[in-house]
Order: sequence, then structure tokens, then C-alpha cells
Amino acid sequence: MKIVVCVKQVPGSNDAKIDPETKRIVREGIKAVTNPFDTYAVEEAVRIKEKIGGEVVVLTMGPPRADIVLREGISVGADKAVLLSDRAFGGSDTWATSYALAKAIEKIGSVDLVICGKQAIDGDTAQVGPGIAAQLDWPQATYVMAVPEVKPGLIQVKRMHEDGWDLCEVKLPAVLTVVKDINQPRIPTLKGRLAAQKIEIPTWTAADIGAEPELIGLNGSPTRVVKTNPPPAREKASLKLDGTPAETAGKLVHELRVRGLV
Amino acid sequence: MRQHIENKTYHVEILPPKQDSEKLDADLEAFGVKFNRVMESGYCACLTDNAMGNLAFQGTEMIEELGLEPKKDLVMIHLNTFHTKDDLDRILNSCRILKIRQLLVISGDGSDRLPKLSPADVGAHNTEAVTSVELLQYIVREYPGDFELGVAFNPYEPEEHEFAKMERKLAAGATFIITQPVIERHEVVDKLLVKYPKIPVIVEAWMSKKIDLLSEAVGYEIKTATDPFDPIATLKILHQNYKSCGIYLSLLGFKTQYDFIKDTWK
Repeated sequence: MKIVVCVKQVPGSNDAKIDPETKRIVREGIKAVTNPFDTYAVEEAVRIKEKIGGEVVVLTMGPPRADIVLREGISVGADKAVLLSDRAFGGSDTWATSYALAKAIEKIGSVDLVICGKQAIDGDTAQVGPGIAAQLDWPQATYVMAVPEVKPGLIQVKRMHEDGWDLCEVKLPAVLTVVKDINQPRIPTLKGRLAAQKIEIPTWTAADIGAEPELIGLNGSPTRVVKTNPPPAREKASLKLDGTPAETAGKLVHELRVRGLV
Repeated sequence: MRQHIENKTYHVEILPPKQDSEKLDADLEAFGVKFNRVMESGYCACLTDNAMGNLAFQGTEMIEELGLEPKKDLVMIHLNTFHTKDDLDRILNSCRILKIRQLLVISGDGSDRLPKLSPADVGAHNTEAVTSVELLQYIVREYPGDFELGVAFNPYEPEEHEFAKMERKLAAGATFIITQPVIERHEVVDKLLVKYPKIPVIVEAWMSKKIDLLSEAVGYEIKTATDPFDPIATLKILHQNYKSCGIYLSLLGFKTQYDFIKDTWK
């Protein structure tokens, strides 16, 4: 089975700022990390490969330094990586990004399954996974919390929702987006990290994947961010609890419970 | 462990490189240099396990990948409860292959990225969480006779609670004790020595000049007699006060302090 995992580089800090002109996240000078949800996607792909065989390719779109997130994927068991990098992709919204990633998936070829994290923690749209499915005209299952079985041409998944989960069978090729409950991502080994440092990562441009210029970047983006507002500042509060250690522990648990924190 | 004390063998802490290192090659080289230096000195290299919850590479994989040669009974691996069952067994099997016998078994510090052993993983019953006690019981049961197991003692925790925990750790199979860092002397460590005269105790010496870091680590303000804090002078006092104990050197400066310690334990 050939599995492509789409990963994204996101700011590894809460200090990320929004450019007032472009309304986009200022990424320069901010340490970037792999989008946390994508680490679960990589882990699930590697687990499927370990169970039934195949190959895992990690794919990202971004600046040249985005190779870091691809190398992280290699370090935990992915076999290959592809970086989509071209100024022409600049300004892409989720639809144009989905188009570019779908074109890259077509170029990779013979892909049975695409797995994405349910959303990126910077944009929080949760649109790119479904967007890829729409661009490829493949079936999709979102909010996947378990993959009980993979059969030839078919994958069985549990989809999480507010009242529990649905067990679904999806014909392959398909796109999945996964939630954190699906697994516990492994920690890279030193051997994996060293292998990831050495691997050659091809960089594909818009021309390499045969992307239509009017469908990528700002030209291919039907949405515009016209205004952004920071969320209201969180109220700081302190509470002093008196009593014996046992009493204060009880009060602390009560206060945490009424605030929905435990 | 008794032999380390009789032979005046320092326990020297070495932190493996962090997982997010941006200069991994340089960090690996530095680790190898430190490890070999400790081996050449005849000291015991103590390799931490994701210290303070920071993701780092495992001591055993560092030794294996860098082709380092542990000397007999001169390497100690820290092992905490933040692993998957597979990783735990992989580490223990690597220790067996590398003939590393000494383990410091601790509960450890977790983080969002670190998995946690479940009671079922280690065959523990009637408990909601795995602590060093359940981990000790697992190692003793599944790897009988393979390891010499040590545990931590924290004199900064409520005394009664800490001694009760120590009873459980010793009952689970621990045969030596390493304390949290002690500056010159600590009355609760003195009580520990009186209570367990036959158990080898290694007292930890804080070798960083940044004493505020120690206060942060133990959660209490640590006061020192000298300002600025002089780790080498304090180490000498520690030797005077704990002549029957071994010494564990945490955060030792290999460039600035290492050459000075060879004459401090006479």
C-alpha cells in the first residue's frame, strides 16, 4: 500500500503575529514545528505500513526550510519525502493548497491512501484534507479515531463525533483526516534522526506537478482574509484555599471541576 | 554499588542530546567525548532519561549508534515510567547486550509527547498509575538477576511520605539509593543513613553555579553559605559530611570543573 501523509510546518510558539497588511501569519523568525495533528497522521501511516507492508511518503508545501518537517516524518518511519516549493504557491488559500497537494499526489502516482491531521493549529480550518479529496474526487473520512482494518481496496475506520463514533468502510483510494485519539506517536530514535539527516528530498515546483498557474497562489484562491481580530484576553484570577492539606486538596479538585478543567 | 563507594568512584551525570537539537552532529560528538572521558577516568557515567520531561535520545541508543564502549559496571542508565512497553523492553534488552547492570529506576517527568506506561504494561494490579515501585517490580520479575537497581530519595519532600515510599521501593527490589542534590548537608539524608545503614547511598552534588535552578527543580528555595555558590568547595564539604556515601555529580562542567574533581575525593 502506498500512503501519502500531508504535513505542515506551523509556528512552534504562541507568539506568532498576524501581518496587518496581508492578514497572514508572520513566520519569519519563529521556530517552526510539525503541526501536532500531522504527527498522528504519520504515525498511523507507519503503523499501517508495518502491519500490511507498503511505502509511506511525506509531503509538504512551503519554503525550502519546510524540509525539517519532512525529515521528522522520515525519522519516525516514513520512507520518502517530497517538498513542494515555489514562489508561485505563495498566498494560496486552503483550496489552492489542496489543488497543489492533489497534483503532487497524482505525480507521486499509484497512491492508495492519503492521511492528514484533522487541522493545522495555525489556520485551524480543517479544510485541506477534505479539499484534497475533492480535488482528487476520492472518498474521504474525517475525524478518524481508529483504523481497525485495511483490506484490499477498502479501509475500515472509526469516525469520532460528539455522541461517540461511527464505523465506516471507505473504498480506496481515499483521504483520511485523523484526530489525536488515534494513536500515540512514537519518539524518533537516534538511528531514525541520523537517517533523516542524510536523505535527499526532491523539491517540486508548480511546473513539476503540472499545476495550472491560475489555480495556485492568490490567483487560485477564492477566499480572502479581510479582517483579523485577536481573541479577547483571558482573565487572570487567583484563589486562596484554606484548611488542612486534605481539605484544600478537596477544595482544589472541586474548583477545577466546576471550571471544567478536570 | 558498595564497590563504587570503596573505590571512590564518582557518578558523573551525562545528558544525551535533546531530540530537537539544531546541532545534532556537534552534540553527538560532545556526548562521545564526555562519555569516553568518564570511562578513562574510571568513573561511572550516568545517562539520564528525558530529564525534566525534555525529549532526548536514550542512553543505550547513544552508546550503540556512536560505537562507545562501556566499561564493566561503570555505566548507569536512568529509566523512568514515560515509555511504551516496547521501548521499555528495548532499553532493558540493550542494557543486557551492552552488559550494563546498573539502573536508576525513577517515576520521572512527563510531557505531552511522552507516552506513559500503563499498569497493564507492567503487570501491576490495584493501582491507577505506574510509579518507580511498579517499574522495579516488573524489572525484577521479567529480568531476574540482570540488573542492580537503584532508586531516588528526595529529602525536600514531606519526610514521612518519602520514607514510606522508600520502604515500598526497597521492598520492590531496590538495592541502592541516590538522593536529590544536597548542599553540604541535609538532616533528612542523615536520617536516611541511620535508617538504612546497610544500603549504599549516593549523595547528589549540585555542580552548577546556578543555585536557583536547583531551587526550581526541587520546588523549595535552596540557600547556600557562600554567594556566589562555589560547587567545588561545596563538594569537598559534602565528602567530609558523608564519608560513607558515594557522590553523584549533576551538571558537572566538563571544561571548567572536570580536572578539579580528581583530587577532591581522597
